[in-house]
Amino acid sequence: MSRLIKQWIPVLIAAITGLVVLAGYLIPSPLLIYYRDRLIEWAVIVAAFAFILGLFNILRVHGGRVVRLRQGWFYSLILLLVAMVAWVPPVLYGPSGTPTRQMLDYVIGPLGASLAALVVFTLALAAFRLLRVRRSAGAVFFILVVAVVLLGSTPLMGLEWLADVRDWIISVPGMAGMRGLLLGVALGTVITALRVFVASDRPHSEF
Amino acid sequence: MGNLLGPISGAHVGAILLLALSGLVLIILLILRGRKGPSPPIRPLPAFQDLQDEVGRAAERGETIHIALGSGGLNGEDAVTSLAGLQVVEALADVAVSYNVPPIITVGDPTLLPLIQDLLRRAYERRGLLADYDSGRVRFVAPSPVAYAAGAANVVAAEGVTANVVAGAFGAEVSLITDAGARRDLPQLAAAAAPRAIGALYPVTDRLAVGEELYAAGAYTTGERRYLSSLVAQDILRVILVLLILGAAVVALVGG
Repeated sequence: MSRLIKQWIPVLIAAITGLVVLAGYLIPSPLLIYYRDRLIEWAVIVAAFAFILGLFNILRVHGGRVVRLRQGWFYSLILLLVAMVAWVPPVLYGPSGTPTRQMLDYVIGPLGASLAALVVFTLALAAFRLLRVRRSAGAVFFILVVAVVLLGSTPLMGLEWLADVRDWIISVPGMAGMRGLLLGVALGTVITALRVFVASDRPHSEF
Repeated sequence: MGNLLGPISGAHVGAILLLALSGLVLIILLILRGRKGPSPPIRPLPAFQDLQDEVGRAAERGETIHIALGSGGLNGEDAVTSLAGLQVVEALADVAVSYNVPPIITVGDPTLLPLIQDLLRRAYERRGLLADYDSGRVRFVAPSPVAYAAGAANVVAAEGVTANVVAGAFGAEVSLITDAGARRDLPQLAAAAAPRAIGALYPVTDRLAVGEELYAAGAYTTGERRYLSSLVAQDILRVILVLLILGAAVVALVGG
């Protein structure tokens, strides 16, 4: 009985749920669409509970670091304090209240944008390292293409012809490569999903 | 799907059904056939070849490895990509528990949290070491992709890991994580499906699985027949698709 519950019930739930949702998108039956929508609603509710789990996980990991005074404990302390404070405006003023929007617009938004800006520097550093550690024809070609596309996007005088080269790179070889890549990804996605449907892949069960 | 991509036409439904049914039939046939014969041959993929050896090296140094699974979860468009990343964890869990070096796994979507914790717990249970299991090895960092990448980069920089594995749903922000690894000269193994992530990962490591290669992680890392069979099914479908595209191009050319 225990084996049945731990092994087969999760597999059956996953397979049947997946098939009903997929069929609800492909077959225009009101009954299937009704069950598809209900199942998706349940998934959203479960995901919301997962966020509560996530919050407890953060409190546990960073709380442990603060209590044991491990490396970086001060940053963990700040994170914990912010986590405690950040839920106050939405609870008191609602998700679209002025203090909540101010917190999003003036604190979380700018912080996210500044982190995203760092990505440019890490990408540039990665390209520099590539030339240092991997001096292959592929690496040189990669850097050349990146340089042409970047310079072709700038309004520099005398480099207008590069914009045409950039457009050709993006729309011909770039697009061809991208489509090949996306076709492969789509196939991989379908096969991985089918593996879950036929219970060949069972990460959610005690097999 | 319909909500994400707009209304689905009859032709699209036919194409999706045809693809899904052919995939299903191929997988079942290959699994049944594979029970008797030898395992199907697969081409080498550097991203996954030394994965389990990295755990051994980490054990020798008394440290561990970091696995970043990205910002995908189980309830979005990246669900299957995240499941593919999960295969890496599944493959490493037993080896890591045997060496007593459980990996630090970071996720950017909490729906993955209980699933990965359960995978790790089961690996401990199989070895009879359930008392040693620590659910804090699996960490939810942040729901925003960039904040997640910054938090995971901190794990790579400050937690004494000896290898950095990124496999799952990422964008260009993955370079924050790999930059932290490059600064410490760590071996880095990567697998990503999104073109932006691939562009960011290419300069960092030559052990990179690109596009559909990510979905082959289970086959390479575990060598299990069920994964190998589906990999062969994927290859057969790809060849058929390529032939169809070439055929359509020739017909279009000839037809003017």
